[in-house]
Amino acid sequence: MLSDLRFRFRALFHRKEMETELDQELHFHFDHAVEKYERAGMTRDEAVRRTRVTFGGHEQIKENCREAHGIRFLETFLQDIHFALRAYRKSPVFFLIAAVTVALGIGASAAVFSLVNAVLLKPLPYPNASRIVMPWRHGPIGSVYGSDDFPWAPTDFSLIRQTQQVYQHLAAFKKDEFNLTGSAGSEMLAPELLEGVRASDGFFPALGVSPILGRAIDSDDDQPGHEHVVVLSYTLWKSRFSADNGVLGRVIHLNGFPDTVLGVMPQGFAFPTPEGMPASIDVPRKTQLWVPLALPVTSVQGASDLEIIGELKPGVSFDQAVDDLQAFDRRIVEKYPNVKGWYSSVVPLQQQMVTGTRRPLLLLLGAVCVVLLIACTNVAGLMLNRSLGRRKEFTLRGALGARRGRLVRQLMTESMMLALTGGILGVAIAEASLFLGKLFGPASLPQLQKAGLDLRVLAFALGITLIAGLLFGLAPALGASRMNMVEALKEGGQRSGGSASAPRIRNALLVSQVALALVLVTSAGLLVRTFYQMLRSNSGFDATHVVTFELPLPNSKYSDTDRMAQLYSQVLLRIQSIPGIQSAGCASTVAMGGPTDSTVIRIPGRVVQPGAQIPFADYLFVSPRYFASIGAPLQSGRDIAGSDTLTSVPVAIINSAMARKYWPGENPIGKQVGVGSKRYPLRTIVGVVPDIKQVSLREVPGPTMFVPYTQNEIKVWPNMQSMQFAVRAQTNPDSIAASVRQAIQQVDPELPLANFVPLTSIVDTSMSADRFSMLLLAAFGVLALVLAAIGMYGVISWSVLQRTPEIGIRIALGASRRRIFAMVLAQGGRLVSAGLVIGLIAAFVVTRLMTSFLYHVQPTDPVTFTTVSLLIMAVALLASYLPARKAMKIDPLIALRCE
Amino acid sequence: MANERIDLPQGTLDLLILRTLSLGPQHGWAISERVQQVSSEVLQIQQGSLYPALHRLERRGWIKAKWGTSENNRRAKYYDLTASGKKQLVVETDSWLKLTAAVTQILESI
Repeated sequence: MLSDLRFRFRALFHRKEMETELDQELHFHFDHAVEKYERAGMTRDEAVRRTRVTFGGHEQIKENCREAHGIRFLETFLQDIHFALRAYRKSPVFFLIAAVTVALGIGASAAVFSLVNAVLLKPLPYPNASRIVMPWRHGPIGSVYGSDDFPWAPTDFSLIRQTQQVYQHLAAFKKDEFNLTGSAGSEMLAPELLEGVRASDGFFPALGVSPILGRAIDSDDDQPGHEHVVVLSYTLWKSRFSADNGVLGRVIHLNGFPDTVLGVMPQGFAFPTPEGMPASIDVPRKTQLWVPLALPVTSVQGASDLEIIGELKPGVSFDQAVDDLQAFDRRIVEKYPNVKGWYSSVVPLQQQMVTGTRRPLLLLLGAVCVVLLIACTNVAGLMLNRSLGRRKEFTLRGALGARRGRLVRQLMTESMMLALTGGILGVAIAEASLFLGKLFGPASLPQLQKAGLDLRVLAFALGITLIAGLLFGLAPALGASRMNMVEALKEGGQRSGGSASAPRIRNALLVSQVALALVLVTSAGLLVRTFYQMLRSNSGFDATHVVTFELPLPNSKYSDTDRMAQLYSQVLLRIQSIPGIQSAGCASTVAMGGPTDSTVIRIPGRVVQPGAQIPFADYLFVSPRYFASIGAPLQSGRDIAGSDTLTSVPVAIINSAMARKYWPGENPIGKQVGVGSKRYPLRTIVGVVPDIKQVSLREVPGPTMFVPYTQNEIKVWPNMQSMQFAVRAQTNPDSIAASVRQAIQQVDPELPLANFVPLTSIVDTSMSADRFSMLLLAAFGVLALVLAAIGMYGVISWSVLQRTPEIGIRIALGASRRRIFAMVLAQGGRLVSAGLVIGLIAAFVVTRLMTSFLYHVQPTDPVTFTTVSLLIMAVALLASYLPARKAMKIDPLIALRCE
Repeated sequence: MANERIDLPQGTLDLLILRTLSLGPQHGWAISERVQQVSSEVLQIQQGSLYPALHRLERRGWIKAKWGTSENNRRAKYYDLTASGKKQLVVETDSWLKLTAAVTQILESI
């Protein structure tokens, strides 16, 4: 075995030496044979001739010996590479264009794949990720709640915890905001509003993550009365406590209460993150700290605001978790008959973390594959033309004995080398575009920052490189293998024709290219239209010169809603007196400030039929002048006034969606409405405002009622602990930041002011993910168009070149130049029309899958379809125009001389 | 003479080469001459098959090549059996004898 290797090794690397030896050996034999014949009485010449005859072809023997050396395959391969290099050196421009085309396709694909890899394929950074699940609650089927994932009531959680048999660790948590005040060492620090969660004791064990410093929340901490402890995130520990190990055991002030620092979590741990939760769930944008949930033991159902996370016991299947929850569904109804119809579901965390981001990424991956396909068809066309141009070379080599398979193999080697060069360039392009993507991509796209070229991405790049090489190598190889040697030789120097199948392959390439480009550009066009519609859509407010911020109140100092309302009105009063401020108002959630609370409502005199939808509405607190501040003028009626207090008539303002839904064709002003519970008084509607968007420009606002914050008789919700403010300045609002801060400090120096941002930038940020997908898809669309244009130009100009003699004859016989021009254009037009028809059919099917990305645009939007078809037609016209002009100017004399 | 010549199956040629070399190192020409002589001119090895066979056997490690000087003072490539080549010769001779005996038996009995 070893000697075999050594022999082959020698054959490969000492080829010259072995060749000489073989030569000598054969000569030696030859001379002896001649000698033998001479001895038998022949003359020298006769003997030599005789020997030659018996000997057979010298070269043939050598070839057979080489075969025996066992490196034939490799040798041929090296030879092919050698040929390919020579061929490419001879036409560097061709090589460059082709390689860059491939590189663009592969680079874009690899970049998008690295995103997919980072977001969808990489495991979550929790040791037990595969066993972590999150159960959710769902409203009765057909109810207003739809199939949304709902949080749990504390009583639900207690029952699950008591009766479950499948979880190793189970925990509940909910978002909260914390006003961090006090000192760090000796210096006083400005109050800071932090988002965090209240979590029960199983939280960290379920995720399998332990603190790097100190300890996590245990069952003793998770008891009412013992909950004043806190676990810090790594970022908070670094920024606020300068990564000081002595922070453990120190007391910090959260919402006015003294909390002892228990531990610090490792870097990067920030569960829960918004991208990992259903959109309807309110989670911190950035979780900075964890405190015990400390649920009191009670049988009162309470608000449903708990998220649950569980780690399945090893060996317990997902189906068992589903069964366990169904058992819970039966038990809870026995205890609380009012939840009849509600049901539970459970989702693996891994799956939940990607649902929101999966679809846009898959869309991009699909788009980029189309770009790659177009690039491949382009290069296939180029290669085919080139192989036809080299027909003489191949004919000659065929005549000299090269087998057809050998020629195909050489062409494939050339394609593969081109693909590999493109692949290497492509990886560089991918790296560069990732860099740019990280720089300009949206912060809302999770894990974009983590996308990078790892082994899996490189393997993917290699894979698509090989597939691309095969794809565009196939066309010329087919063309070459079908080439009829005899015909080719007979045609001699003539330039006409090719093999019969070559033009057909080329036309098919062009048609598919046009079709692919049409599908991609149409999809991009729909996204652009969607974006435009979002921008144009009526947001219900006017964001110019509006700035928003939050003012969370420390629980310790402000626990009573009347006290809170009093403080807010003082703050508003101060702010309104700042010069340069037009108006100021506050709301439990301002426009684009996030999801709102909603409630079942009752309208006197209306009986809900069984099975019919229970009336509901979003429910917000607002201050006087809030609507003026966000630029949402009342459509009718009056604004809330300072005189609307707990002692006056309860009033409400509704949005026009609510007016349309519950009082269609009637004037809602003066009508009465209230929350579901009869304990609270009905409110009289005094005004109607436009539909104001709360979360995204895409949303269609539902029925919403606005209640004066000074008439909060429910007290427990909506939470007034943290109101959001909207301030309209007369000019650029940046300049008022300091005076607003000052005004608040004058009321209470310990109040933190959080998220001070212009409303315009909130709107902007809310659109960043849409903008990112749109821009990327538009870029792919442009790339596809350019590639398709190059491809069309190539095909048409090649066919003009081939038809030069024919055109020459036509001109000589009196065809007008204009007719020649029209003829070439028509040729291109026929192919493009075929491509358009196929592409339109494909686009009709494909864009249907995009429905969820679209806003106020039909997937078969005629405007987009027509525009894109016209655009592609125009590009095609442009691509055929140049060759057509060339054809028109053909000089018949020169053309015929070419024959 | 040409009519009496028999084409050799590949395995047989290897066997003949190994057997010839078992008498001592030889160059290619001598091997072909010797096979021809010993077989009373019935078997004639074509150069076209001899040299590829030699190279193949060398690759397998059954024979090794060495350059030496021939009877008439020319540089010639001499082939010699290696240890594994000797073993191979025994194995192949044995199976050849078995094969021919069996074939002969059949041919004679029917």
